[in-house]
Amino acid sequence: MLSRLVLRAAPAALRALPPPVAVGVLHTTRTLHTTQQSLAPVPPLPEKGGEVRHGLIPEEFFQFLYPKTGVTGPYMLGTGLLLYLLSKEIYVVNHETAAAACILTVIVYAIKKFGPDVAAFADKLNEEKMATALAMKNEAVQSLQTAIEDEKKEQWRAEGRSYLFDAKRNNVAMLLEANYRERLLMVYNEVKKRLDYQVAMQTLKRQKEQDHMIQWVERNVVQSITPQQQKESIAKCILDLKALSKSAHAVV
Amino acid sequence: MAGRRAALKAVDWAAFAERVPPNQRAMFNALKTRNDALTARLAALPEKPPAIDWAFYKANVAKAGMVDEFQKKFSALKVPEPVDTQTAKIDAQEKETAKSTAEYIQASKARIAQYEQELQKLKSMIPFEQMTYEDLSEAFPETKLNKEKYPYWPHKSIADL
Repeated sequence: MLSRLVLRAAPAALRALPPPVAVGVLHTTRTLHTTQQSLAPVPPLPEKGGEVRHGLIPEEFFQFLYPKTGVTGPYMLGTGLLLYLLSKEIYVVNHETAAAACILTVIVYAIKKFGPDVAAFADKLNEEKMATALAMKNEAVQSLQTAIEDEKKEQWRAEGRSYLFDAKRNNVAMLLEANYRERLLMVYNEVKKRLDYQVAMQTLKRQKEQDHMIQWVERNVVQSITPQQQKESIAKCILDLKALSKSAHAVV
Repeated sequence: MAGRRAALKAVDWAAFAERVPPNQRAMFNALKTRNDALTARLAALPEKPPAIDWAFYKANVAKAGMVDEFQKKFSALKVPEPVDTQTAKIDAQEKETAKSTAEYIQASKARIAQYEQELQKLKSMIPFEQMTYEDLSEAFPETKLNKEKYPYWPHKSIADL
């Protein structure tokens, strides 16, 4: 009888169900397709699913019953339901029950013991994939930025072409100027050389004439000294020497 | 007309050297050495040759009239200036490079715009953690699996695995 009451109360309670509301630790339930526009970009899916107690019953159920029955309400309901099913033999205990109990025990134990490790391993695999993808993306961004930098640098370089042409023109101008000056200098040198040659020729001629003259005079003078004159001059020299030697003796 | 005194434009070699790309260093060095050699040569030559002392020669050279003749011919002599054949070519070259540089800069700007676009796309991408495989194929079309050509998994040629 109590069961029929519960069964009848259920739909009324369900109709009075308030719209899902963010409560404390619960994740917000997504309000999908409430407006005409769709959200863009689509908000990311939640990382974890809704919270459950004992792996089966969602937390919302407990929160739903809390105002009326307090903390122990759902548990009482659960126990009552279970006892009702067992006592009325709506659920019959047979060999499959034993099998189910053993299997479930083993499964739950295995999951509780090895679950986190397996999860960590799977997460690591995923992480690696993400890391590679992210690394590639960063590399691509980096290379694009350097490419942009390089292009800008090349543009800046190309602007410096005026220097090149100025240098070239300078070279040409300098070459021309140097050439012209060399020509002037050459003319000057040539003219000077010729004039100097003339002057040098003249001085040489004069010198030769002078030397020849002196030699001729000397030769004639030597020739004109007769033997008689030679003897006389030698005797005079001896007398002079004697006089000099006398005076020298006296000084000493 | 461009006289002898075509003024030499001061070239800022330091700034010039900055802008030379590394693969053209050798050419730049050659140009610079040439320029330095020419400058040195020009500096070594006097601007005007020294004046000939005609009075001295007139007094000393005996040959009559020779010095006068020389003097007359010397002052009448006009040394021809070397003809400038290259500046026109250089100007033509400059115009050509101006044009090609403008083209290059245009192309460069187009490239930069392209890079900027790709950069923008990459930066505004949703993070990988929130992507589905569909989103990935949208963002990077090269990862899209060709289901028409390869209808069976793995939807790409075995060699690409």
